[in-house]
Amino acid sequence: MLADAGANKVVEALSELNVQTLVHIPKVGPIDFSISNAVIYMWVSAVIVFVFFFVVARRLKKEPDGLQIIAEILLNFATGHLTGQIGEKGKKYYYLILTFFSYILVTNLVGLIPKPEALHPYTPTANINVTAGLAIVVFVVTQYQGFRRHGAGGYMKSWLTPPGVPKLMRVPLNALFFVVHLMGEFFKPLSLAVRLFGNTIAGHLIILVMLGLLLQYASALVIIPAGLFVVIMMAFEVFVAFIQAYIFSLLSVVYVETAIYAGH
Amino acid sequence: MDAPTAARLAAGIGMGLATIGPGIGIGLLTGHTSEAIARQPEASGDIRTAFIIGLALAEALALYAFVIAIILLFVVK
Repeated sequence: MLADAGANKVVEALSELNVQTLVHIPKVGPIDFSISNAVIYMWVSAVIVFVFFFVVARRLKKEPDGLQIIAEILLNFATGHLTGQIGEKGKKYYYLILTFFSYILVTNLVGLIPKPEALHPYTPTANINVTAGLAIVVFVVTQYQGFRRHGAGGYMKSWLTPPGVPKLMRVPLNALFFVVHLMGEFFKPLSLAVRLFGNTIAGHLIILVMLGLLLQYASALVIIPAGLFVVIMMAFEVFVAFIQAYIFSLLSVVYVETAIYAGH
Repeated sequence: MDAPTAARLAAGIGMGLATIGPGIGIGLLTGHTSEAIARQPEASGDIRTAFIIGLALAEALALYAFVIAIILLFVVK
């Protein structure tokens, strides 16, 4: 995706954002099943999330200690807004939202850890395909809930004009509302995907450019401000990793909620 | 001016322009949120949730421009 590594150290640093294919597997139709470093880091994050919750769930105690305290804080942070937004019906989405939150958080944090080149560093959430995959899951859940709870007719009806519109205006307004709502339904997952991708890749780009500058112009005039900036930016990126995971899970809840209570 | 140069120029100028609106929006949002929390600290949880949703929506606008800038930089050859 990004320019080839050349003599310029800044460009060289940016090559960390390239996907590297590690194990070549022949294509099946248009789908490429090759194992790249992005896939490896997604697996690593999934395993970390699984093992963490597995270990915690195996030894639950009345008085939480150590890992269980962390797990409970994460749980409350990720799903505390669920029943507040959806009500009692929201309990069903507990697992989905907790999985989204912890998976995105762990992927972001694993991507932030500086790694040697031998480990082929990559952040899966800095790839639009990964975030789009997550957003498509939210889209499918949202539309499924909308169609199942209201039926196709009832759900589509909630996209039309609200009651109280004069008869004469109803037909053109209905057409307009329908098109706008239909577009809106597709823009929701798009903005989810682009937000996570944009935030992650923007943070990594800034850090990598600064590190590249630091290597390119090896003088105290550049090293001190750029180095300080990288340290501050890294701390900010840890914060952003939390906020983005939180926003993704919160907005998924809001979207599912609007589908469940469509027309109210 | 050839196409890649024009695309780079457009990416830079466009990204700068695109941050103006969300910047104003996030500024207003943060100001009013802190005002609201100062006025009613007991409602800070709900206010914070609304703040973060608004923040995400405002920020998404700049990110759309960021994606367009990336497309301009790396797709126009």
